Amino acid sequence: MFYINIQKTLHGTLGNMELDVAFSIKEHEFVAISGSSGSGKTTLLRILAGLEEANGEIEVGGEIWLSNKTTLPAQKRGIGFVFQDYALFANMSVAENLLFAAKDKKLASHLLELTELKELAHRLPNSLSGGQKQRVSLCRAFMRRPKLLLMDEPLSALDPLMRTKLQQDILTLHKEFGTTSIMVSHDPSEIYRLANRIIELKHGKIIHDASPKELLLKTQGSQKFSLTGELLEILKTDVIYIAIVAIGQQIVEVVIDEEEALRFKVGERVQVSTKAFSPSLSKVYI
Amino acid sequence: MNEIRAKITDIQSSDNLSVLSLDANGQTMRLMALGLSFPLSHDLEILLGVKSSNISLATSIQGELSISNQLPCIIESLEIGTLLCSVKLRFGETLLRSVITKASALQMGLHEQQNLIALIKASDLSIIKIFQTSETKCD
Repeated sequence: MFYINIQKTLHGTLGNMELDVAFSIKEHEFVAISGSSGSGKTTLLRILAGLEEANGEIEVGGEIWLSNKTTLPAQKRGIGFVFQDYALFANMSVAENLLFAAKDKKLASHLLELTELKELAHRLPNSLSGGQKQRVSLCRAFMRRPKLLLMDEPLSALDPLMRTKLQQDILTLHKEFGTTSIMVSHDPSEIYRLANRIIELKHGKIIHDASPKELLLKTQGSQKFSLTGELLEILKTDVIYIAIVAIGQQIVEVVIDEEEALRFKVGERVQVSTKAFSPSLSKVYI
Repeated sequence: MNEIRAKITDIQSSDNLSVLSLDANGQTMRLMALGLSFPLSHDLEILLGVKSSNISLATSIQGELSISNQLPCIIESLEIGTLLCSVKLRFGETLLRSVITKASALQMGLHEQQNLIALIKASDLSIIKIFQTSETKCD
């Protein structure tokens, strides 16, 4: 078990904010941390890693990482950290980057094989794509067989295809090494695929702690297919009305009644819902 | 969205799927739903929703039909457009609107005060509100 109870005053652009969170994590759990920017997600990760000071306690399987008496240094905490910007050593090859973390050639070779990087072992990071760099960074994080893997928006700079591949790698390594993982992410599909729990922060406090499905599945009564959008226009066609709604980057049309046409105003935020039985799926060919 | 007030008479569930039996204006209705996350029990009053385009009409029915909800209605008024027809129906205390093609309306010879059967599939009905008691409302 991981017991975390920390407090820290943060100085942000909107003034001071109190980061004050208490939660526990079971071993092998995969926790996603979400929340708007400035909510304290990255600071929380850095405190867990020992890269930042804080008040409170962190206890990991009986070992004290933080208390009012002691602070265990970052290198003794048995953590792996994956940053958004890879943080690889530019003058070392892929293999050397891994071996710098721990001198275990067998493990390095195994990790590179798992993530299909073996052929790139002697290349320098600058000659790799973003996705390849992040896979190297992921492998390096596992070189010390971490008890706790911390990832700060690790895939946000990657394109959707590469993201899916990396998600698979993260899940494979998380399972193979039996690690406990905490990942900061904003991407609902990523959270749903990887995490079995999601903690949402707002102004330094936990506002939600639930399973991804509970928190991410937006429902309206028994209507399981529910999206939020902006009402752009209402058009009358024959005896019916058509509402044009912008949802994310897409525009959709919804047939509505006269009563609904009178009730809604253009520019309003609206919830577009239907039952899970109605929509159909088809493949998208790029 | 048409609204029909109904009382739950039976709940059957299998994994994530539920079928509710309901009583609305003395008529038996059925609703199919996925993963009902809110507590439901017998005798609870709920508000059902159904889109106008999901209400079909029949003047008479022969043989068995797989459509669970067959509601006897009377036509209150008709609005005939170029291609479509909006039919206002009275089902007991409840007013419903059905949108069908003008061709169907003409073929059926629809007129005011005509007796009809409104047909709604169990999967086209949704729950839009739960009444905690008959007095207090709960969204």
